[in-house]
Amino acid sequence: MSSTLPVGVFDEVFEHDGQPRPYAQALVAELERLGPDSLVAAGTLRDTIFMRQGITFDLTSADGAVADRPFPLDLVPRIIPAAEWRSIKRGLAQRIRALNHFVDDVYHEREIVRAGIVPWTLVASRSHFARAAHGIRPPRGVYTHVAGCDLVRDSQGSWKVLEDNVRTPSGISYMLENRIAMTRLIPSLFAHHRVRPIDQYPALLHAALRWAAPVADGDATIVVWTPGPANSAYFEHTFLARQMGVELVEASDLVVRDDVCYMRTTSGLARVSAIYRRLDDAFIDPLEFSPDSLLGVPGLIRAYRAGNVAIANAIGTGVADDKAVYCYVPAMIRFYLHEEPLLDNVTTYLLDDPEQLEAALSRIDQLVFKPTGESGGSGVVIGPAAEERRLAELEIAVRREPAHYIAQEVVRLSTVPTVSADGTLAARHVDLRPFAIFGEEIRIVPGGLTRVALEPGSLIVNSSRGGGSKDTWVLDDEEDQASERIYDTAFAPPSLPDLRLGSWTGQAQQQQQQRGLPAA
Amino acid sequence: MLARIAHELFWLGRNTSRAELTARMIDGVFQADLQARPDDPAGVTLSWGAVLAIMGSTATSDSGRPSRAETVALLSTDPANANSVVASLQRAREGARSVRDVISAEMWEAINSVQLGLADAAIGVTGYGGPYSFVSYVKSHTALFWGVASRTMLRDDAYAFLDAGGRFESADMVLRMLRVALPPSGERSAPRDGQALALLAAVGGLQAFRRAHVVAPSAAAVANFMLYTRSYPDSVAASIDAVRAALELADSNPRGSDPVLRLTRVLADLDFRGQEGRRDGEELLEVCQIVGSELAAADRDIAERYFGGVAAAAAAARAA
Repeated sequence: MSSTLPVGVFDEVFEHDGQPRPYAQALVAELERLGPDSLVAAGTLRDTIFMRQGITFDLTSADGAVADRPFPLDLVPRIIPAAEWRSIKRGLAQRIRALNHFVDDVYHEREIVRAGIVPWTLVASRSHFARAAHGIRPPRGVYTHVAGCDLVRDSQGSWKVLEDNVRTPSGISYMLENRIAMTRLIPSLFAHHRVRPIDQYPALLHAALRWAAPVADGDATIVVWTPGPANSAYFEHTFLARQMGVELVEASDLVVRDDVCYMRTTSGLARVSAIYRRLDDAFIDPLEFSPDSLLGVPGLIRAYRAGNVAIANAIGTGVADDKAVYCYVPAMIRFYLHEEPLLDNVTTYLLDDPEQLEAALSRIDQLVFKPTGESGGSGVVIGPAAEERRLAELEIAVRREPAHYIAQEVVRLSTVPTVSADGTLAARHVDLRPFAIFGEEIRIVPGGLTRVALEPGSLIVNSSRGGGSKDTWVLDDEEDQASERIYDTAFAPPSLPDLRLGSWTGQAQQQQQQRGLPAA
Repeated sequence: MLARIAHELFWLGRNTSRAELTARMIDGVFQADLQARPDDPAGVTLSWGAVLAIMGSTATSDSGRPSRAETVALLSTDPANANSVVASLQRAREGARSVRDVISAEMWEAINSVQLGLADAAIGVTGYGGPYSFVSYVKSHTALFWGVASRTMLRDDAYAFLDAGGRFESADMVLRMLRVALPPSGERSAPRDGQALALLAAVGGLQAFRRAHVVAPSAAAVANFMLYTRSYPDSVAASIDAVRAALELADSNPRGSDPVLRLTRVLADLDFRGQEGRRDGEELLEVCQIVGSELAAADRDIAERYFGGVAAAAAAARAA
């Protein structure tokens, strides 16, 4: 396998001398055995399967035409050793717990503001700060039921949090479908690794929603709320509803009467007690937010405020995934949990501070600038890759509204070998989005969605901009296998009678035996 | 109709059903087996030893602990193993050939053409590709067969025997799966839950289960679903009901028919037990055993009442 590694980049499979890292040796050997032709063949099969199953996304080409393309799953999985995963998992759980505290705090006592740690002007000016959520404490006090934090590895290989997504993070369906596809396309890659399964995610989500619902466990009616088939993540909405066995509703299916939320069914109104919503705060209730929203359910916030329905994620969580608030997460962890952060932030500059603003603008061609209230990579300018004119526009925009931008040091994302069109492998940059569920406890399915930039040297991993994804393997190790013995010894299958084959002669013989006739 | 033809049709149905269910089971277990043990009770797990047990003692592996590659090849493409998918399909084709005049031309075409692409689809089973292509090939072609049968075949005695065979085999296979996957003791055990779930996923019923039940899947919940739920077509109760209905149609005097009476009694018993509410481990296992032996008896009754005369005559002719 040929693989040229750029200097100053951490490759997750190969050491700097070109030797595979110990945990990746078996994978590399198997990839070499398969060779480029097998990988190309498996890629063709992958596209066929994805097109048939409708696992696609819309790609807008240069001439504006929208094409339905199979989701670009790369065939080389990404491996995360067990010990590394344990520390990521602990770090994420800590972070999500702190973010949940923060959301509760800013809509109630505001202790973190009074302690002088986070300025109130910053919180109140965030575009996703929801006044309507003030004073509402959702059932069981959980706000961030579903969270997806984006992680990257820097040039030393250490994990950093790039951003937090605690509104409606998407990608879980691709993560699950990627695994199923990999077991079908190249099962031999799994042969020498014990990869931890991830298919329990929908069951965990369902359990967390049932737990959050303000009614007895057995009676909880849970729904997934989608903006509709035109939404780019509609596939994921249908996927989750199907996997959990719950209804997928649109706004017109829901109605609020006397502060109780119902859905319209063929047998009248049926009470809904938990809603997993996949649209932003601004659209959910025209009485409280945008009055012109056609996607909303009038009165839903009243039902929510009355404690009659759980909404996941809760109203107002967007304030916690704002990119300016992101800078304060390590401080939140110390303040609420009295712990040191286990996962670091990427070095970030708050631009409403005049000193930091000037320092950042003087290095405008070396930093990444991000608008604070956006998600999905929109509006992000990567200094080293941007044209001069774009930088000039950016400087004007930042100077006009410095509080709505942050600047970050460029992270040279780690790389993983990736299959090129001709079946050969080349290093490409990756990030990772693990998915956490906050129910009775915080559960994180092993791994997450690895996104990969398919262009050489590119740091853009978004699928809408030419990125792909990889199956992410968290390996099992001794510590996780404590329960292994139970599986092996508990099983002694009973012996069942042979299957009957029903040939005419066999039939005849059986008849003879039953009638006591001599065999022919 | 001729007893021999009825027998061939019955077994055409059984072999086609068996090929499909075996393929589905291989697919479900293969996918679960590639990955590590789930850290959650709701995960999917089923050992290859269990799969061999489901397929009966004739499918035992040579070595002590059956390997993945060995078992997959043995049960999917091994022509020497009478329980392999390929062997079942081969028998189905031979059976269909002898009743070509009774079934519709499209049905014959569907079952005959299975052989044509089978070798290509089976390449992956032994190579790097795994059984996916093979399994989806078998699933789509057996579905095609049942689809054209439901659209093109006259609903006469012939169809009744074909249908009865197909549904009889589903009932039998699902019962076998449950008997292996159910916990031997009344306790809830994670591995058994995983096995039950793997089987449910394998027969394609996971989504139906999730829509029908809000409870987390456990071995007992899944077994209840697969035994009693009439609205789920692959449940034992639904399959037995379909066999009974088909035989009732084919029999000139159904009220005097041993197999019809026996199946009616089994169904009433199943409905009664299903009404009693959830049962766990040992009791469910007991029900499975009772229904299993009743099915075996019904199988003998069917052979006796509908196929018996000619079989005895053939045996006598050979003996003479």
